[in-house]
Amino acid sequence: MGANSNPEIEMNPRPALRLWPAALLLAAVVVVADAALTAGGTAYTKRYKTSLLAEPSPLAKPTGEVPFAQQLKIVEMKGNWLRVSAGPNGGWVFAGSLTDTKPAEIKGTDGNVLLASATTATAANRPLSEEANAYAARRNLGSARVDLDWLQAQCKGFTSADVDAFLKAQKKGEFQ
Amino acid sequence: MKTKSRFPLVAVLLVAIPAFAQFDQFKKALDSVKGTPSTGTKNNTTDTLNALGQVGRGIAGIGPEEEKNIGDSVAVEIVGKYGGLVRDAAILHRVNLVGRALARYSDRPELNWRFGVLNSDSVNAFSAPDGWVFISRGLYALAKDDDELAGILGHEIAHITGRHALNLLRGSNIAAGGAGFLATRSNDARTANAALQNFDSGIDKVFTGIVEKGFSADTEYGADKVGHSLAAITGYAPGGLRAVLVQLQQRGGDSKKFFPTHPPLKERIARLPDEPAPKP
Repeated sequence: MGANSNPEIEMNPRPALRLWPAALLLAAVVVVADAALTAGGTAYTKRYKTSLLAEPSPLAKPTGEVPFAQQLKIVEMKGNWLRVSAGPNGGWVFAGSLTDTKPAEIKGTDGNVLLASATTATAANRPLSEEANAYAARRNLGSARVDLDWLQAQCKGFTSADVDAFLKAQKKGEFQ
Repeated sequence: MKTKSRFPLVAVLLVAIPAFAQFDQFKKALDSVKGTPSTGTKNNTTDTLNALGQVGRGIAGIGPEEEKNIGDSVAVEIVGKYGGLVRDAAILHRVNLVGRALARYSDRPELNWRFGVLNSDSVNAFSAPDGWVFISRGLYALAKDDDELAGILGHEIAHITGRHALNLLRGSNIAAGGAGFLATRSNDARTANAALQNFDSGIDKVFTGIVEKGFSADTEYGADKVGHSLAAITGYAPGGLRAVLVQLQQRGGDSKKFFPTHPPLKERIARLPDEPAPKP
């Protein structure tokens, strides 16, 4: 490229100034990205039901329960725990149980909006879909299908209570 | 000026013609399933509205039923390509408890999460829609502790919660056609075959995207970041994933040998926070 190939740059004595809007925009994006789950900010529930607790502890008394995709105001933070308010309700929630982005709505087979959390919960532990079984047959992948049936059956043995016990024993999640 | 004023009309036509054609095609398919053309009766009107809902959802996104159909089928392909599953109760127990602990704090905690180990020496991990996560035996052996395992699984969980594989199907007919519905209920062999072909080509697209081409570099860096945060909030050492990547790099690995469907190790390591490796 010759020296005169970009006359616009040569005509502008201070090209750095032109970068300011982009830099400011980038800074704003970074601030927004880092603004996740901070006191004074907003959080959303991402489970079918989320308990609010009287203390920042998994063993504390529940003070209320909020449904899926409920917007909450973050009042206070204490480590990985957030004190939130949702209208008349308020209480402590482990930060991992909330998200900074409103969960997406999804649609059911009739095209109506469903709660993602509810639909996925009811789908749990169902066998491989008929479509996948038929697909495996068309592609001669019967052995893989049998393996997945086995995995699916094994996974039925892992309950939510097992995960609770694991988290408690390992001091993970809200049991940290 | 005329060129400008014509552009929106051209744009509308470009969008409207395929959309209309798609609906018309779907309506004909629906008629063939029912055996009679729609006459505008109450039932037919309801069915047509349902069909419209399906087409609308197909354009706008993929619902839970389609996600399950797609995810289960992609999982079949992954397990078929990578030597089947390791049937070891202790390994399965560990992978599923660590994986489910992470998934509980992910953005889709109530998805049907299942974690399996592929019977392959290769060093890679994959995920399929609807909560399927697979780690190869080769990579599983490299994870020295649960912190490093959590780093690997967290990255794959992030692909599912971010719907990265499903995003590969944007513009595809797989969701709009309702493949299973048409294929199983249609008396018209041509319609059924067309629906199956749409479905199979959609699975091919996702499988190729996951296993052969890989996601875009930015998608992978994003999954690293989300997976890192997920491991940290769950209580695992946040440096777990980085420690695995550094270990692979020190073994002289490059992106072709280790994580062949991911961006270069050097780039991934550079983008993760420089945190100490988990203590043994």
